Amino acid sequence: MIPMWRLIVRNTAARRGRLALTLFAVLMGVTFVTGSLVLTDTSQRLLDAQFRTATAGVDLTVRDAAAFDSAMGVEVERDPLPAEVVDRVRAVPGVAAATPVVRGQGLIAFGGKTIIPSGPSLLLSWEPDPVGAFTLRAGRAPDAEGEVVVDAATARRHGIGLGSEVTVRAERTERLRVVGLAGFGSGDGLPETTVALVSLPAAQRLLALGGDSSEVAVVAADGADVQRLRSAVSAAIGAGYDVSSSRDVAASSAAAAKTQISYLRVMLFALAAAALLVGAFLIANTFSIVVTQRTRELAVLRAAGATGAQVMRSVLGEALLVGLAASAAGAGAGVACAAGLRDLAGLFGMTLPDGGLVVTPRTLVVAFAVGVGVTVLSALGPARRAASVAPVEAMRRSSAEDVSGRARWGRTVAGAVLTALGAAGLSMVLAGPGSVGMLGAAAVCAVVGLALLGPAVTPALTRLLGRPLGVAGVPGRLARESAARAPRRTSATALALAFGLALVSFTTVMGASIRDSTARSYTEVITADYVVESARNEMLGGLPAHAYHHVSELPQVAVASRLRYGHWKDGRSTEALTAVDPVTLPRVTSLHMIEGRLDAIADGGIVLAADVARQRNLKIGDTLAMTFSRTGVQRLPVVGLLRDRDAQALSTSYIIALDTFEKNFREHVDASVFVKVADGVSGADARKAIEGVLTDSPTAQVRDQAAAVAARTGMVDEVIGLVTALLMLTVLIALMGITNTLALSIVERTREIGLLRAVGMTGAQTRWMIRGEAVLVAALAIVTGVGLGVAFAAGTVTALGRTTEATLTLPVGPLLLVVGVAAAAGLLAGLLPARRAARLDVLTAIATS
Amino acid sequence: MTMTETTTAETFPRTDIAALARDVVKIYGRGDTAVRALDGATLSIPAGRFTAVMGPSGSGKSTLMHALAGLDTVDGGQVLVGDTDLGRLNERQRTLLRREHVGFVFQSFNLVPTLTAAENIVLPLTLAGRRADQAWIDEIVAMLGLADRLRHRPAELSGGQQQRVAVARALAARPRIIFADEPTGNLDSRSGEAVLGFLRHAAHELGQTIVMVTHDANAAAYADQVAFLADGRVAGELRDPEVADILARMARLGEREK
Repeated sequence: MIPMWRLIVRNTAARRGRLALTLFAVLMGVTFVTGSLVLTDTSQRLLDAQFRTATAGVDLTVRDAAAFDSAMGVEVERDPLPAEVVDRVRAVPGVAAATPVVRGQGLIAFGGKTIIPSGPSLLLSWEPDPVGAFTLRAGRAPDAEGEVVVDAATARRHGIGLGSEVTVRAERTERLRVVGLAGFGSGDGLPETTVALVSLPAAQRLLALGGDSSEVAVVAADGADVQRLRSAVSAAIGAGYDVSSSRDVAASSAAAAKTQISYLRVMLFALAAAALLVGAFLIANTFSIVVTQRTRELAVLRAAGATGAQVMRSVLGEALLVGLAASAAGAGAGVACAAGLRDLAGLFGMTLPDGGLVVTPRTLVVAFAVGVGVTVLSALGPARRAASVAPVEAMRRSSAEDVSGRARWGRTVAGAVLTALGAAGLSMVLAGPGSVGMLGAAAVCAVVGLALLGPAVTPALTRLLGRPLGVAGVPGRLARESAARAPRRTSATALALAFGLALVSFTTVMGASIRDSTARSYTEVITADYVVESARNEMLGGLPAHAYHHVSELPQVAVASRLRYGHWKDGRSTEALTAVDPVTLPRVTSLHMIEGRLDAIADGGIVLAADVARQRNLKIGDTLAMTFSRTGVQRLPVVGLLRDRDAQALSTSYIIALDTFEKNFREHVDASVFVKVADGVSGADARKAIEGVLTDSPTAQVRDQAAAVAARTGMVDEVIGLVTALLMLTVLIALMGITNTLALSIVERTREIGLLRAVGMTGAQTRWMIRGEAVLVAALAIVTGVGLGVAFAAGTVTALGRTTEATLTLPVGPLLLVVGVAAAAGLLAGLLPARRAARLDVLTAIATS
Repeated sequence: MTMTETTTAETFPRTDIAALARDVVKIYGRGDTAVRALDGATLSIPAGRFTAVMGPSGSGKSTLMHALAGLDTVDGGQVLVGDTDLGRLNERQRTLLRREHVGFVFQSFNLVPTLTAAENIVLPLTLAGRRADQAWIDEIVAMLGLADRLRHRPAELSGGQQQRVAVARALAARPRIIFADEPTGNLDSRSGEAVLGFLRHAAHELGQTIVMVTHDANAAAYADQVAFLADGRVAGELRDPEVADILARMARLGEREK
C-alpha cells in the first residue's frame, strides 16, 4: 500500500492548483463549524465560571419559593425575604453565618450622563469575601451612607475614579461618592454590565425594600453536612421559601443565560450546514472534472494492473488528503474567527461574554469529521466513475472533448418525479390545505429533484437564458454553447449558487413579510398618539413603573395605558402573556373581540387569541391552567376571544388584567405605555411634556407610531441582517465553484481556445467568451435560486398566515439587489479564468494533444 | 552554407512573393540549454502557388511556419506577410493580421466542436465582424463537396470531412496565405489525397497561396515546389517535385545529419 499512497500524495500535490478552490470551500465550511463551537463553548464556560464565582464562598442560598427559576433565558423575580427569615435561618444549628443580600437594577450616571450598558445594570449590597464575589481593586468598602463601589471595568471605560460623584438610579435616586473599585474573579467586571455596590441599608433604601432582602447567603459551620443543613434550614423556615445549594443556583442561573447562546448555536450550525452543502456540490464537481480529465492516466494505471478498487481508493485518498488539509486549516481559522463571529453577533445586537477561547477536543473531532466526511462523501461518485474506466480507454483519443457528462435516463425520471412532488406540495400549501411540515418536505423534494433533473434540462435552459449572449457575436454564442454542452457540470455549478441564492432570497422575502405584517397589524390596532418604551429592548420591556405614573398625571395627556409582559409555563413549554388595563386600553387601541368582552378580564379571567383558543379547544367559560413562578398553578376562566391580528399587536396570544398580573408576578416593569394626547394639545407640546417627566427614567423613549413600528421591525431587520451576512458565505463558496469549474474547463478546452486564437479571436474576445459563460451560469442560478426562494417564502407565509397575521410582501428592491449582486459576482468569478484563457500561449495550446 | 540546388528563392520575381522569411533566428531556452530552432532561415513564399516545407524532426519547419503565420515572434531576421513586417506588430495586431490575411489547417482539432460546419467555415469572418461573401462560400463549399454537411457538428463528421471543412474555413476569408500543418497526418490515404487535391486545386484554379508543412513525401509531391529545412536553415528547394526526388533529397538530409 505504501507505493499507492505515494502515488496519491504525488497526484494530489501535482493537482494542487485544481484542488485549491475545493480545499478552500471545505475550509470555509469547517471554519464556520469550528468558529461556532469555539464561540459557544467559550461563552458557556465563561458564564459557568461567572456564576460559580458569584456563589463560591456560599453553601446555601435561601430565596422565596418559585415554581420555576427562569423562562426564555430570563430569571424570574422573587418576592423579597423579611428580616425575621434571616434570624430564623441564623438560629438553625450548623449555620455559621446567614447574610442578607440585596440585588436589583440600578443605573449609574456620571458627569450628567447615564451609563446604559447593553447588558444589565446591577445594584448589589456589598459583602466582603466569602459571601460577596466582588473583591476590591482600589479604595475601600462602602461602609457609610452615601458611598458606593463601582466595578473597575465600568470605572475605566467612563473615567470614574476614587472620589468621583455618581448618581445611582433605582426605585430611588441618590448621589453617591465612589470610595472603591472592585473586580469580579480575575476580571475587572462583568461583560456589558455596570455594577454598583453599596452597603446593605443603602441598597434596601435605593430599591425600596424596607428591611427585606433578596436572598440569604448561608455559610455552613465547619464539618456540617450541607445536604442535612439544607433540610434543617428548610424545615425551620417552611415551604414558602426555597433553600438550594449555591452550586445548583449557579448552575441554574448559568443555564438560563446559556439559553440564548444555544439559539445562536442552532442558527450558526444551520448556516454551516448550508455552506457545507454548497461546498459538497463544488467538491463533487471538481473531482468529477478531474477524473474526466485523467481518464487516460487512470486507464494507463488500469492497463498496468491496478484494480478498479485501487483506482477508487486512489481518488478517495486524494479526497481524504484534501479533506484533512482543509479541516486542519479550517479548524485553525475557526479558532481565529471565533472572536470575529462574536463581534459580528454583537454588531447585530447579541452580547456574548469576552474571554479566553475554549477549544475542546470535541470541537476538533467535529471539525475533522465534518471536513473529511463531506469531502470524501462528495468524491464518492466521481471515485466510482474513475474505478469504471476501462484499460482500453488508454488507447483511445483524449476523451475530454465530448465526455462532459450527459443526463442519464433513470436519474432524469427520478428528478422529474421529485421536482413534480415538490411543486405539488408547494401548490397544495399555497392553495390551502398544506402545512409548514409539508412545505419542508416539498422543499427537500424540489432541491433533490432539481439536482437530479439538472443535467437534462440545463442545455435547453442555458440556450434560452443565453439568447441575449448570441447578440454579442461569436464569443457570446460560444460561451452559451460551452455551458450547454457540459450539462452536468453546468447544472452542478449553477445549483450550488442557486441553493445559496434561494436561502438568501427566502430570508429576504420572509423578513420583509414578517416586518410588513408586524407593522401593519401594529398600525391598525394601536391608535395611541405616543408610546413610551425602553430603548434597551429588554425581553420584558424594562420601563420603570413610575414612568407610567408620571405620564398619566400630565394634564396634556388624555389617557395613558400600560402593558406588561410575563412568562408562564404550560407543562414543560414556556409561554408569554400580556397584562393590560381593560378600562384604558380600548381608548388607545382598536381591538376586535370575536367573542366576549375585554373588560371581563378585570375579574381575573383571560382573553385568548382566537386561533390559540381553537388549537387548545377552549371556549368562553372553560378554564386554562397556567403555572406562574410566584403562585404556582392557577386556573383562569376564559372570558373572551380576540382577533389574531390584534393579539399580535399586543405581542402575545394571552391577555390578562394588570391586577391579575400583580397577584401572580413579582416583576413590575412596564413594556409600553400608550398615550393619547388631550384635546386641544398639540403633539409637539404633549411630547415635550412627556419627555420632561421622564428625565429620571433615562432608558425611556417617547415614540410616535412610526418610531414604535421601527423599533419592532428593527429587531426583525437585525436578525435578517445577521442571517443574510452569514448566508453570503454560502454564495461566496458557490461563486468560487464557478471560478473553479471554469478554470478546469479551460484546461480541457486548451486546444479549442488555441484554435480560436489562431484563426483570429482577440484576447478581449476570449475574455468576454469566458466571462459570458460565468455570467450565464450565474443567471441560471439566479433564475432557479431566486425562484425557489420566493416560491417557498410564499408557501411559508401562506402556511403561517393561517395561524398568525402574515401576508406576503415581495421586497422588489432587495431582491433586485440580490440578482444584481449575484450577476456581478458571476462576472467577477469569471475574471480570473478569462484572464488565464486569454493568456494561453497559442502555440502551446494548439500543440496540446 | 547554401547548397547548389536546381532552384533557389531568388528565382521568383519579387512582386509575386506572398510572404518572406529573411535570415530568421529563433532561440528556445537560455544559456547552455539554448536551442537555435531557426538559425538564419531564408524562404520566400511565391504567391498563388502551393509550397511544401519538409525536413527531419527538429529541423525547424514548424517553427518557421509559426513565424510566417504570425503565431510566434522571432529573435532575429525579418518576416514579411505581403508588405507587413510582423516584427513591428504587437500581439493584438498579429491576431488581427491572422484574422484578415492568414488561414490555417491543422493536423487535428481544427473545428470548434460547438459550432456547425457552416459556422466553423465563416468563423474568422464572424470573429472579425465581417460579412461573408455568400457566392464565394457557396463556391468553395460546392468544390469541397460539403453542401449536405453544413448543418452538422464536427462530432458528426468523418475525419476527412472535418479537414475539408477546415480547408473551406481557411479559404473563406480569401486570406493572402494559407498554412497547413500536416493536414493529412490523421487521415486515411484516400481522404488525405482528396484534401491534398483540394489544396492544389485552390492554388491553381483560385490563385490561393498555400504553405504546407509535412514529412510525408507523397503529400509534398502535390505541391508546386518543396523547400527543405535542416538545422534551422533552408537547405534547398525542388520545383514540380516527384516522390522519388523528394525521398532522395530527404535521405541525403538524413545522412548529412550524421
